Amino acid sequence: MRINLVWKQYDVLVVGSGGAGSNAAETASEMGASVLVVAKDPLSASDTKISEGIATVRASGSEDDSEDTLSENLQLAGGDLPDVNITSAFAKDSQRAYDKVRANGLRPKISAISKSPDPLPLPMGGHTKRRSIGHKNSGVAFGHANWNSIVKDAKIDYKEDCWLVDIITENNKGDTKLIVGALIYDAQRGELLAVVCASIVVASGGLSTIYFPKTDTMRGNTGDSYAIAARAGAELVDMEQIQFLPFCLTSPPAFEGLLGGEPVTASYLGVLRDKNKKVILDGVYLRTRAECSAAIMKAVEDGRGTKNGGAYLDMTANKRAPKSGVYFMKFLKGSLPSAYNNVRQAMNKSESQCEDLWEVRPSAHYMMGGIRVDENCCSVGGSKGLKNEGIVGLFAAGQAMGGLFGANRLGSTSLTEGAVFGQRAGKNAALHARNESAMNRLNKKLFLEKAKKVNSLIGQKGHLHASRIKLTVQRKCWENLGPIRDERRLNKTKLFISQTKKKLKNVKISNNTKWNQSLIEYLELENMLDTAELMAFAALERDGSLGGHVRADRPNISLFSKPYSTIVRFLNDGVDVTRLPRKQTEIKKLIKFKFEEQRKFLGAKILRLMPMILKDRVLEKRYKKIMNIQKSSITVQPGSVEGAVGDRKIL
Amino acid sequence: MTTKDTKDRQYLNVTIVTHSEGKDMPINFKYKKRHEREKPMALDVLLQAQETKLPDLAFRYGCRARNCGVCTIDINGLPRIACRSVVRENDKLKAMSTLPVITDLVVRRDQISRQLRGKIYRNSGGNDLNVDASEDYHELTSCIECYACLHNCPMHKKNSIDPSESDERYEYGNPFSLLKLQTIVMDPVSSNSQKNDAITQAVNLGLDTCLNCPGCKCGIGIDLKGKVVNPLITASKTIADK
Ligand SMILES: Cc1cc2nc3c(=O)[nH]c(=O)nc-3n(C[C@H](O)[C@H](O)[C@H](O)COP(=O)(O)OP(=O)(O)OC[C@H]3O[C@@H](n4cnc5c(N)ncnc54)[C@H](O)[C@@H]3O)c2cc1C
Ligand code: SF4
Ligand code: SF4
Ligand code: FES
Repeated sequence: MRINLVWKQYDVLVVGSGGAGSNAAETASEMGASVLVVAKDPLSASDTKISEGIATVRASGSEDDSEDTLSENLQLAGGDLPDVNITSAFAKDSQRAYDKVRANGLRPKISAISKSPDPLPLPMGGHTKRRSIGHKNSGVAFGHANWNSIVKDAKIDYKEDCWLVDIITENNKGDTKLIVGALIYDAQRGELLAVVCASIVVASGGLSTIYFPKTDTMRGNTGDSYAIAARAGAELVDMEQIQFLPFCLTSPPAFEGLLGGEPVTASYLGVLRDKNKKVILDGVYLRTRAECSAAIMKAVEDGRGTKNGGAYLDMTANKRAPKSGVYFMKFLKGSLPSAYNNVRQAMNKSESQCEDLWEVRPSAHYMMGGIRVDENCCSVGGSKGLKNEGIVGLFAAGQAMGGLFGANRLGSTSLTEGAVFGQRAGKNAALHARNESAMNRLNKKLFLEKAKKVNSLIGQKGHLHASRIKLTVQRKCWENLGPIRDERRLNKTKLFISQTKKKLKNVKISNNTKWNQSLIEYLELENMLDTAELMAFAALERDGSLGGHVRADRPNISLFSKPYSTIVRFLNDGVDVTRLPRKQTEIKKLIKFKFEEQRKFLGAKILRLMPMILKDRVLEKRYKKIMNIQKSSITVQPGSVEGAVGDRKIL
Repeated sequence: MTTKDTKDRQYLNVTIVTHSEGKDMPINFKYKKRHEREKPMALDVLLQAQETKLPDLAFRYGCRARNCGVCTIDINGLPRIACRSVVRENDKLKAMSTLPVITDLVVRRDQISRQLRGKIYRNSGGNDLNVDASEDYHELTSCIECYACLHNCPMHKKNSIDPSESDERYEYGNPFSLLKLQTIVMDPVSSNSQKNDAITQAVNLGLDTCLNCPGCKCGIGIDLKGKVVNPLITASKTIADK
């Protein structure tokens, strides 16, 4: 059997129909470009749709929230790794981009006083201003708006159940690479699409599935964005920086990996214990996610892990306190309602009431690195970040892009990231296509070669199954490229990947052309392997702990040392790694930051050592204060710095 | 306790109906419980089947948390969200009967959205966005697009469900499409002509079928009859009277 090749021609191809993809498609179409959107999932089913639906909009809470303030907040959170031009673009566009999503039906609550959307009552952690807007129905409300933006006119063509296989480029003058199109597997119709186009917007999300089931994200996050862009020659930035959430569920299988709590919800008296109930980390509520994850994984490594390879989160002291215990439960339930809902369903009563210990384990949540782009979402490369050293005609937006968050992501910023950079990518992709016709330089041979490669897989004989190898890769990535890393493990990852790549020729692939699951699994497996390989190289280059990257064999990278990003790319059958120097925040600001944090730690220590009666009184007051300020209870967005106040500490 | 008892408790027998090139093939699968009291969801069963006996089994899923709406299958003939539906002994897991099957448990979904292509009007920036939407608007936008409501919908049944090679759309509507149209009617930002257009679209999709229908059921509990179908019928009558 052979899969038929079908030719299509568009100005702009958008890959992904989540927040970034749909915003890109709508904007490019408004600019007059002909647009095709493809996605492996049904229209708008994506991380965007399953998110908590909290979005950053500058100056939504107060007039004095300047662009510089927001941009600086992102810089500091990201350990000075973010690209200043990109954080500035984010700050500049957030309002306009958000209003465009609203025009498609997103309806936040409108404040009677300000006559505009009202942000949450307190600034989310790391944000110095109130600017995070929550929405009824969470991400599903964004899902509807994105769906509407693509379906509403008959102008945007879309196809679901389509897997981007590879991007096709041609060498222009000298070494410059130029987009000429892409090859796509349309599983629904059993066709290969050869899409000839001048611009491609990669908005195909993240990579957390390489740790499945230890993740709370969508199944389709197999690293396709990064692997496919890198195979085409693009540079990737900060690929060691992945955010793990430490307190996720371990069982039953249906809930494995989903969120249970955040460091802050462990509250004043929460501690982590190993399987022998010995304390392995105290003062949890002030710790970073990375610290909590590392403590859990270290215990596991020493054979002191719990049954499912995690640790116990003990919040019983919070609950036991005679007066403040009641407030604690309210705080816990109100702060992270959907996570608590998972706990209630997955655990027994005494556990969900915090009278017993929770078994917890980290899960992958968000990739902060990604395709290296400039503030207009154009792929760039080289020491100066030039367009003609990237891939001309390649754009990236959303989780696929890098450079906005560096070592840490502030809460509620990703949904806005999708809107801001989706729109920027769409606009610039359309502009590029006006001046560049891919048809003029159409070299059919390039497409036919790629199609032949895919077709040679159909009916491939072998004794291995890609779906099963995937499970092994996921386990190995967890062990050796996961929330705790060292040189030995990273080298093991490299070796494992090269060995596994050699096995691919023995993978059995069935003969059918329509929805060939074994082919889909194979293509995704290849992307997982390429992505993990690039991550391993970046992780070895970053030889100290920083943000989401924890090295057990190296010290923390100091806030005061010279910041740099890691850059990885495929080069001559190998991986090329370089460092890109970044601009440091003023020392004055850094010292202030450090000082505040030390003060908080001291306070926490004193509290812990107080006798229960005194403690209880202090805590009761504190809970009352938090809940009073907020009137309704706060919501912490998973992954936000508010969920782990300590996350600002090591940066 | 005899050994046989213990053994039985470790397993759950289910039938998974696979599908290839137009033919169904039921397969018996023994789900191995991870502990005696485990009550697996349908998605757990499918994932384990793929891990063991059926490595190429095709099925849709995404979030595993009843948010993305893509994992709907029929369990014993009724549409269920696989990631949050407990499976019992001898249950039969099969592709949804209301949409064309592609492979195994995967159905073709996009002919539903295509029926509204170019037909839903959205504010493109002119109107004031700063108005509050009603609770009903938010109830409608809690729809996760799982398509469970297509089950037993006489309007949707009027469509032929032959898988089509082209980007064809369904001619007749369904509860989900009506919900999308009613969302426009409920949206405080929509203009009157946009609202009237939405109601006319509902009529064109076959709203009259709803007149003799006991009503539709939503997989996550949205009051479709009360908040979508009845209001549309009333509104369409008002327009007709004019
Ligand atoms: C549980 C959870 C809660 C969150 N809460 C928040 C929050 O409250 N606020 C916030 O700001 N952020 C939140 N985030 C993060 C945020 O949701 C995501 O980072 C963001 O939505 C990513 O958007 P995106 O458009 O880049 O990718 P996605 O929305 O993930 O879309 C990816 C798209 O690409 C498609 N695709 C993937 N691979 C391919 C391929 N090979 N070929 C074709 N198509 C492909 C997919 O089908 C999909 O359409 C949360 C994340 C999770 C998981
Ligand atoms: S209306 Fe209900 S049943 Fe129908 S698609 Fe929406 S959520 Fe599913
Ligand atoms: S009321 Fe209308 S939409 Fe609902 S099931 Fe009946 S015919 Fe279908
Ligand atoms: S997997 Fe998302 S709803 Fe079931």
